[in-house]
Amino acid sequence: MTCILWGIETRYPDVWIVVPAFNEAAVIGEVISDVRSVFDHVVVVDDGSADDTGGIAHRAGAHLVRHPVNLGQGAAIQTGVEYARSQPGAEVFVTFDADGQHRVKDVLRMIDRLRTEDVDIVIGTRFAEPEASTKVPFVKRVVLRTAVLLSVRSRRLGLSDAHNGLRVFNRNVAQRLDITMSGMSHASEFIALIDENHWRVTEEPVEILYTDYSRSKGQPLVNGVNIVFDGLMRGRKSR
Amino acid sequence: MNWIQVLLLVAAMALVAFLLRSRGSVQARAWVKVGYLLFVLAGIYAILRPDDTTVLANLVGVRRGTDLMLYALIIAFAFTTLSTYMRFRDVELRYARLARAIALEGAQEPTDERSREEKTTLMSARAKKNKPDERSREEKQAR
Repeated sequence: MTCILWGIETRYPDVWIVVPAFNEAAVIGEVISDVRSVFDHVVVVDDGSADDTGGIAHRAGAHLVRHPVNLGQGAAIQTGVEYARSQPGAEVFVTFDADGQHRVKDVLRMIDRLRTEDVDIVIGTRFAEPEASTKVPFVKRVVLRTAVLLSVRSRRLGLSDAHNGLRVFNRNVAQRLDITMSGMSHASEFIALIDENHWRVTEEPVEILYTDYSRSKGQPLVNGVNIVFDGLMRGRKSR
Repeated sequence: MNWIQVLLLVAAMALVAFLLRSRGSVQARAWVKVGYLLFVLAGIYAILRPDDTTVLANLVGVRRGTDLMLYALIIAFAFTTLSTYMRFRDVELRYARLARAIALEGAQEPTDERSREEKTTLMSARAKKNKPDERSREEKQAR
């Protein structure tokens, strides 16, 4: 499907990029412009930021959904996906971090794979190639690898990097997605949902740009304890 | 092993089992009330005849009735902490859904021309396909 608009060829009219953002005013404008140079449809979910994250993103050409209060990244992703799936023509959905650590060209490759291969969801991984993984800071690498080893589901599904924020999935997944972990435990929940719904999943090697900025925004590693605990308590609730 | 140890372990297990079962059902709530009633009755009895708690404590291998009370208190506290945690998480989920509904209500489309043009093109393309309601129906089913 290609459309010619204003002399610019847009090859991705059915792709929606979902960007959860919390206090990212310093970089969000650049990130959105970068994404918008390739993709028309970007929805930024401003997760109750104290700064002008939402306004900057909106002026950069993104659809803006603003949480009235801060809910957490998981909740922001769910909101963005719900917005995107209600848009006409939306078929491919991408989750993309707002801090500029993902590369648009990785997204393009993942979309290609989603379209050509027999899969429902493509997840980015930092650990597919040996030389790529050395770019991940050492402590972070150890913790993330341990998380994968501890997760029975990740191993069964053959996933090496469950906490990668870059994901590309089709309408089937978007339609049934229901993230209930509002905070950072949503990545594990995503894996659990893939497993429970028998979505076909694959991985694509991606590069994460660890800038000083993204490092400073990253979650403290001790949060892994919370993630494991939330995983154990998952499903013990009345829906 | 002392009897108190057995009893406390059983209580701890019951705690976990109770929490892991689906909560919030009518029966569960009813049993909580029955348990509370029994607790109050036992409390009244213990107040009227404090020495009997020591007899009961000795029966299960604890020297003083006060110590028995302490053990019971610890178990009760652990129970309360966990159930509060679960309850809070349920409430937080509802709160997130409420905030999401408000957020989606006030969604802003981009103001620039390119995106708007794009949107109308897609809409008319979809109208031609002659199935305009399919999406919203899917959406409803998914819920």
